[in-house]
Amino acid sequence: MTQRTSLADGTFAALLEAAPDAMVCIAADGLVVMVNAQAERLFGYERAELIGQPVEILVPEAARAVHPGHRAGYVADPRHRPMGAGLSLAGRRRDASTFTAEISLSAIDTDAGILVAAAIRDVTAQLRVKDLERSAQSLESFIYTVSHDLRAPLRALSGYSELLLEEYGGVLGEEGRGYAERIVAVSMQMGQLIDCLLQLSRISRAQLNLQPVDLGGEAAQIAGEIQRREPLRHVCFTIQKQVRALADRRLILTVLENLLDNAWKFTSGRDDASIEFGAAPGGDAAVCCYVRDNGVGFDPAYADKLFQPFQRLHAARDFPGTGTGLASVRQIVERHGGHVWAESAVGAGATFYFTLDEKEGA
Amino acid sequence: MTSQTILLVEDNPDDEALTLRAFKKSNISSEVVVARDGAEALAYLFPGDGDGDDAPRPALILLDLNLPKVGGLEVLRRMQADARTRLIPVVVLTSSKLEEDILDSYRSGANAYVRKPVKFSEFAEAVRALGVFWLLLNEPVPSRAPESD
Repeated sequence: MTQRTSLADGTFAALLEAAPDAMVCIAADGLVVMVNAQAERLFGYERAELIGQPVEILVPEAARAVHPGHRAGYVADPRHRPMGAGLSLAGRRRDASTFTAEISLSAIDTDAGILVAAAIRDVTAQLRVKDLERSAQSLESFIYTVSHDLRAPLRALSGYSELLLEEYGGVLGEEGRGYAERIVAVSMQMGQLIDCLLQLSRISRAQLNLQPVDLGGEAAQIAGEIQRREPLRHVCFTIQKQVRALADRRLILTVLENLLDNAWKFTSGRDDASIEFGAAPGGDAAVCCYVRDNGVGFDPAYADKLFQPFQRLHAARDFPGTGTGLASVRQIVERHGGHVWAESAVGAGATFYFTLDEKEGA
Repeated sequence: MTSQTILLVEDNPDDEALTLRAFKKSNISSEVVVARDGAEALAYLFPGDGDGDDAPRPALILLDLNLPKVGGLEVLRRMQADARTRLIPVVVLTSSKLEEDILDSYRSGANAYVRKPVKFSEFAEAVRALGVFWLLLNEPVPSRAPESD
């Protein structure tokens, strides 16, 4: 405090007004001397209502009695106290509501005596985000632990049933063996469900690594792989070239694989199966793609259920699957800031659309 | 102590029983010592606190990651930190397929990472393949290995 600040020339007031935080200056007697517009907004008072008032009107009732003591202590030893120095503080608005605040204090030597300038920041939203992040994290780790721990008893269920079959198959008889086989099969199925749950939780935790991706080229490659798996099926693929987007390559491949796999699966009954990938006008979105097939389709009444985990619109014996493919698709697309929807009628094929937020070079 | 001892570090009694059963099924006749948590495994590998050379040297360690008291990764790190155990092959055998777990295992010195399949026949096949590879195909570390860092 070697140089005295002059309040008269207006520079100080202008600086105060320009500060990003709410600023309240008080004199040594605890009366408010100056406030800025941010402080008016934050506390809900007009400037004229605050000037000349004890600063305690901005302090929650519970802390008012002790505040003058703190104030005197600070003036006696006016060291700069930075924001968030481990103190949980609160402010009180005109309507008596309170908010969690970070407050930093500095003493200014002025021609009108020592002023204490307090910069006040409402951190309620930040705290809420932190809380949300924390609960999302604990949910993820909960899902992980549960899925992990569920596999061990499953292994025992299926393992002992297989041993029963192997070593006591004769004693069990045909019906008994059938039951044991059901236990093995259902354990396998539950194992797959758990793996899908793990995958969903991994997608929501994954860091997005955005890069230019040639969606048309990738779709063509995936189509080729699917065709190689079942070389006897004849499916006409029409894939638009030069569909480019900024995306996490690994995740967006999962989207294309799931949609093309589904199209392949649900056209299996047709000799003239056709599957199409292309770009459509996307409205506000930078990229809008679709995968269209002429397969069995689905009842549009259940369209909203398609993208929920473990929901299936077809009997497992007709079209096998765990019912998590489209849930992964939705999760990945939404992580890219896009959305996904589907159009269909029973027997008339289905079209799945997804948008992505960023276009390469846009 | 034969050179063909397998140390199985497994806290789940069902997994232990199924693993032993899988060994039996695949005619792996090695003696299997079971440690039921990380602390038991360390106590087996480092008996007493002496520097004696009489500590057991299993030919293979099958190590679960999620273990009571001392976790699998910690067991790996302690083994890496000691010249007497650094060269013993360790296969992580676990339910987890979390990338972090796989990476951490290799970074901590694991020689292989195998996820336990749910289906017993697949699990038994995995255990058989591990036994065949590590006990028959793979040339073990010479017993008088020069101990240098």
